Amino acid sequence: MSILSLCQWIQDTQIGTSLRESIWMFPIIEGTHVLALSISVGLLMVSDLRLMGYIMKRRPVTEVYEQIKPWMFIGFAIMIVTGIFLFWCQAVKAYNSIFFKTKIILLVVAAINAIAFERGIYRKVDKWDNALVPPMEARIAGWASLILWAAIITCGRTMAYTF
Amino acid sequence: MLSLVPFFQWCDSSFIGAAIRNSRVAFPIIENFHLFALTVLLGSLVVLALRQFGLVYRAQPISEVAGALRPWNRWSLVVMLASGILLFLSEAMKCYSNTSFRVKMLFLFAALLFQFTIYNRVVAREDKVAHAGGKIAAAIALCLWFGVGLAGRAIGFLG
Repeated sequence: MSILSLCQWIQDTQIGTSLRESIWMFPIIEGTHVLALSISVGLLMVSDLRLMGYIMKRRPVTEVYEQIKPWMFIGFAIMIVTGIFLFWCQAVKAYNSIFFKTKIILLVVAAINAIAFERGIYRKVDKWDNALVPPMEARIAGWASLILWAAIITCGRTMAYTF
Repeated sequence: MLSLVPFFQWCDSSFIGAAIRNSRVAFPIIENFHLFALTVLLGSLVVLALRQFGLVYRAQPISEVAGALRPWNRWSLVVMLASGILLFLSEAMKCYSNTSFRVKMLFLFAALLFQFTIYNRVVAREDKVAHAGGKIAAAIALCLWFGVGLAGRAIGFLG
């Protein structure tokens, strides 16, 4: 079974078809996906900006990052759930879209960046928790995260134009 | 009765509006910046509201959190309005007959009015513990701004 026929099968399931043909569900899910950007990427931005040394500099990095993390995860959970449903009802179009493929690759890169940060320089955060401007490695992680998410948003928005 | 139609027609036929309409990439690029600004604007409001509800950053006074977020809030609003005006110019007549657009403008004026007359002053005065009034103000601000976003998204879907 090729990936394309798998996508065809996914969007032909009952859920996929009824979502695609519904008047209200699709706009509601899509609208939620867009507005939840504020809770996911919006909150992530605050911790990234702290890592870059641009915001709440007088507060420990761990305070700024750890306290916002659970809320940020709620935001990303909403993004993933609504995103899966959006894919579900238009899987073939998504499969054929270069922007969708790019978006998925960038999502993986963003995840790798986050894991590398947590397992790398953040392990030694005790040494730079109160630094006004965190060390280079942390600043790069913050910049990379913001740039990647801007690119992910761009791909997501652009793929919808080509559908 | 005074009609707004001539104004919308003038916007629609403006040089900038026509230039955006005639370009294949201008509209998507501008809308993308509109979306970036939405993320930053609503994000900063959510963080401040979370602080007011006592859910994050309790060690920082509310006014301090508001101060740290202010430039991001302010500049994202500037980008939001600038990109929004450009998008509007390119399809002003479409917007005129669009109910969601009218609802969005009502929410936008209410949100701007509330933020600059009440909300900004309330948070500037709050210290460690938010007053009930502050929490209510945070909830109103969130509802108004998310209302703007929701109605904005509906422009394309519902008409």
